[in-house]
Amino acid sequence: MKINELTREDVFRSLVTSSQGLSAEEAGRRLAEFGPNAIKAARKRPLPLRFLGQFTHFLAVILWIAAALSFLSEYFQPGEGMLTLGLAIVGVIVINAVFTFIQEYRAEKALEALKKLLPFKVTVRRGGREREMPAEDVVPGDIILIAEGDKVPADLRLVEANGLRANNASLTGESEPAPRDTKPVPGDPINSSNIAFAGTTVVSGNGTGVVYATGMRTEFGRIAQLTGAVTPGLSPLQKEIIKATRLVAAIAGVVGIFFFALGFVIGRSFWDNFIFAVGITVALIPEGMLPTVTLALAMGSQRMAKRNALIKTLTSVETLGSVSVICTDKTGTLTQNRMEVKEAVSLCARSDEGRDRIFTVALHCNNTKENGGALKGEPTEVALYSKARDVLKRSPGGRLREFPFDSERKRMSTLTRLGGGTFVLTKGAPESVLSVCTNCYRDGTKVAFDDGLIGEASDLFRRLMDKGLRVLAFAEREVPAGEDVSTAGDAERELTFAGFIGLEDPPRPEVPEALRKCREAGIRIIMITGDASRTAVSVAREIGLVAAEPVVVEGADFAKLSDAGLRSVLARPEVLFTRMTPKYKLRVVSALKDQGERVAVTGDGVNDAPALKRADIGIAMGITGTDVAKESADMILLDDNFATIINAVEEGRTVYENIRKFITYIFASNIPEAVPYLAYILFRIPLPLTIMQILAVDLGTDMLPALALGSERPTPGVMKLPPRDPAERLIGLPVISRAYVFLGCIEAAACMFGFFWVLAKGGWTWGQALALTDPLYLQATTACLTAIIVCQVANVFACRSLRESIFTIGWTTNKLIFLGVAVELLLQFFIVYHPWGHALFGTAPLPLTLWLALIPFAVFLLLAEEARKFFVRRTSPA
Amino acid sequence: MYRKILSAVNEHVNSEVAGRYAKHLARAAGAKLILCSVREPGQTESSFEIARETARRLQHTARELGIEADCRFETGDPIERIRAIVLAEGIDLVFTATRREDVKHRLIKGGTTARRLLPGLSCSVALVRVVHMGRIHPREILVAVKDRIDSIPERAEFTALLAKAFEAKVHLFHVTKPVTRFFHGETHLTPVEWEEKVPPDMSRFISHLDSFGVEHEKRLLPGKAGRNIAVEAASRRRDLIIMGASGRGVIDQLLRRAPVEEVLRDTPCNLIILKPGK
Repeated sequence: MKINELTREDVFRSLVTSSQGLSAEEAGRRLAEFGPNAIKAARKRPLPLRFLGQFTHFLAVILWIAAALSFLSEYFQPGEGMLTLGLAIVGVIVINAVFTFIQEYRAEKALEALKKLLPFKVTVRRGGREREMPAEDVVPGDIILIAEGDKVPADLRLVEANGLRANNASLTGESEPAPRDTKPVPGDPINSSNIAFAGTTVVSGNGTGVVYATGMRTEFGRIAQLTGAVTPGLSPLQKEIIKATRLVAAIAGVVGIFFFALGFVIGRSFWDNFIFAVGITVALIPEGMLPTVTLALAMGSQRMAKRNALIKTLTSVETLGSVSVICTDKTGTLTQNRMEVKEAVSLCARSDEGRDRIFTVALHCNNTKENGGALKGEPTEVALYSKARDVLKRSPGGRLREFPFDSERKRMSTLTRLGGGTFVLTKGAPESVLSVCTNCYRDGTKVAFDDGLIGEASDLFRRLMDKGLRVLAFAEREVPAGEDVSTAGDAERELTFAGFIGLEDPPRPEVPEALRKCREAGIRIIMITGDASRTAVSVAREIGLVAAEPVVVEGADFAKLSDAGLRSVLARPEVLFTRMTPKYKLRVVSALKDQGERVAVTGDGVNDAPALKRADIGIAMGITGTDVAKESADMILLDDNFATIINAVEEGRTVYENIRKFITYIFASNIPEAVPYLAYILFRIPLPLTIMQILAVDLGTDMLPALALGSERPTPGVMKLPPRDPAERLIGLPVISRAYVFLGCIEAAACMFGFFWVLAKGGWTWGQALALTDPLYLQATTACLTAIIVCQVANVFACRSLRESIFTIGWTTNKLIFLGVAVELLLQFFIVYHPWGHALFGTAPLPLTLWLALIPFAVFLLLAEEARKFFVRRTSPA
Repeated sequence: MYRKILSAVNEHVNSEVAGRYAKHLARAAGAKLILCSVREPGQTESSFEIARETARRLQHTARELGIEADCRFETGDPIERIRAIVLAEGIDLVFTATRREDVKHRLIKGGTTARRLLPGLSCSVALVRVVHMGRIHPREILVAVKDRIDSIPERAEFTALLAKAFEAKVHLFHVTKPVTRFFHGETHLTPVEWEEKVPPDMSRFISHLDSFGVEHEKRLLPGKAGRNIAVEAASRRRDLIIMGASGRGVIDQLLRRAPVEEVLRDTPCNLIILKPGK
């Protein structure tokens, strides 16, 4: 038994209160016990701790150790530049922490938006006296008085109601005000007419209710709790980056330790070995990867914004590309949220005769307002008004009174003066209107509405429904002079059926094409709508969402489905959820996520917030969405258009592909950074590349070209591939082998060539030691560094595609590449030719002949890549 | 198992709600119900009168249900008096309502009578946290189970009796550790795959529950226990949560908040923490 099932007396008994309210003493006790009637945020890790967490993950710990070892080396072996290295590593840790934090940070404003829906002051009866008090002080058992315009402060069981109607949109998504009464009703409180819920608004009338739940325990609080506590977990990209950094850090650490041990075996000194081990570890860690990923995501979000998709969390840019299921609303997203009259039918043989009668009712039983030529009102009413005005041209009338629509009667009526008489004009749900009709018009005359004609009318109704139209019935009655029509019951009786109008919310024109793209991209679309099944199926067929017989699950059946039952429904290829309320969305999203799907869900109402938070990508409607939905979402559709989601998915997939491209580019330079160290320890030559020069590449010259790769345009086939397999690695064998084995080795050959070419020209002989300040040594290391840069210029063009030839995609299709290369070369010129560059990176100027000698390596790299791509295209066609 | 049940009643409304659970459990178990209120030194007459009224009201409604119910009004230290009654009357189970201050000051020794009763009694204790007064008869009971469950027969019987008393469905919920590997991160398992990982104690609990013929279903989820229990109860609109008392020591609790503490704080519905008797 629940509170809605109790009689008035049992309500007081159960809540240990009375119609006079609680005493002040008892209210104080309950306030201490149940706490303030307020929405509070779920406890989360404080922001500073979350930021500090960025300094303690696996990669950061490895880098901290490397920095500590550098400082230790500087202490025991000064003058080797280890202090600079230590400081540079700390800088890398800080930069990575800041960039990762920026990716993950998101201000939690959803609860603030929720709080705004609760009142500050309420009228409470305590000890028999009514008083105004802060809503926060309301406790279970309090008697609350509510009237038109009030916001409800807590969940109330109504004990008095006078024409009370509440707008429950924040909880149910239903914008039509719901009548409230006091009668005990069985079932779920959320569907009970004797409950007024916190966060809803009283539209008309007044009433009194007993508080049975406050704060976070109200239905509204439940939404707040779920919105605050439900988390989608790490995004696919965040998970991949964690895996990638662990892998890379482990490789770097193991290689460092291995060569430290090897150095001992071949008899090098401890400090030589130590500095070497730290150097090779630093060389193998792609320090610039995280900042580049963050900036690439930021650029992706900018591009999405231009396509009407506003991204709120950076990692969502990539997550969009990985979604495998999109759960979407119908109205306003797949359709235009603009009703249109499609058909008007009556029982008259001559269509114009019956039609005029129907539209006369539609015009005058209508609350649409004309404001400077524009029509304002509820979409269905506006559509009826507009069409009726067009059909009738002129139909003067004066409204005497209105009996508003309510969800119980499912119809509205007006008492209207038309011509010389007074008429009751009624419109509403067919079954509701037909039930109060006793006559109908048949070929111009009023006849009894017998079983045969009722059957005929029902057939007409079904025919319209089968077309997926929203059907309304229209009826009228002339009121004899002196008849009392003070209530809806008085008015809505013995009506004469006029006919039906079928309306349609037309699909958005771009939706069928977007759905076709989804099918090609292997993304399932599940429609979740409050509409009736026939309408939903018809629209789904019209837009190409379903082809065969879809599985249709109505809200009432959904509530009874077990978890296993829901899983089997979701396993079917074409599923539509109809007559659903937003509260069910969370369960659909959770079930899909439990099955391993990556889910995007659309929503606009307050009650959509938990589902928006739970989904991998919550998508709020920018035009019709509530603030709560927008604050809970990861992405806001500025045009409420489904096609925009698909554009954003395409951008997301492109971003992931581009991240792979620039990771290949960045990783390729790690091999020419590591090979000089190997040569140094194995062949006892001067160190060809210093640690500062490695950092110049990783955090300097590589950055802008990598970012330019992050802005590559979508490849033509990107939306023809299925969603990424969750088991697929960002840095898998194909990326590692291409970057390290193929591209990296060519670059390593170039850098060693440059180094030895300068040494040979300077008269160096094998085994000869060179001082760190020796001009020949400085020039040789500069040549080594320059060789890497020259090769990376070619590499950036090679990395623009995974399999397509650069000649196919076009050299100039990404202008940012040229900007990136220009900045890369300018930086290198600064390092090679500017005194500050010399001082900072231990370099010396190079002759032009050396640059020319290195260019063939770049050309070879490009040609080798073209050959590899050609081979890949031949052996595994797309 | 339960022949005599005692419900501690005081001036707070939550003790009356706890008493209602005790009453229905007594009816399902065919046990005698003793409604006990102890006037503490310094307590005003008016506040003790509220407690007396509450006890009498509960006694009256219990007798209407055909339950043998007595009231006991005592004076003195509540812990000592209740302990004495438990020993003298051979009480099997004590119901007592915890209060918000227990949740706020979890690590401060002492707390309310309810908090002190939990370790202080040799019989079973059901600590009731009342947060919602609208779900009078729970129809959906969430039973949060741990990897290792002590006193399985008693816990199963307690759950079964409450479920029968309210004709409720039982939802067993176990929060488990995610399956992770260092280089591969967390491995996603589907609900069917998780069900294959049901801990042995949970299986034993289920077979005991089956012997009472109670309708139930189970669900396993990886993640943080406390938060997941509260979210599960909120998202699936459960009316009551039953869970065991924390088995963690003070030091462990200082380092990691026990799930039960988290649920006590954030529970969206009423909560019963059962400490089986020694």
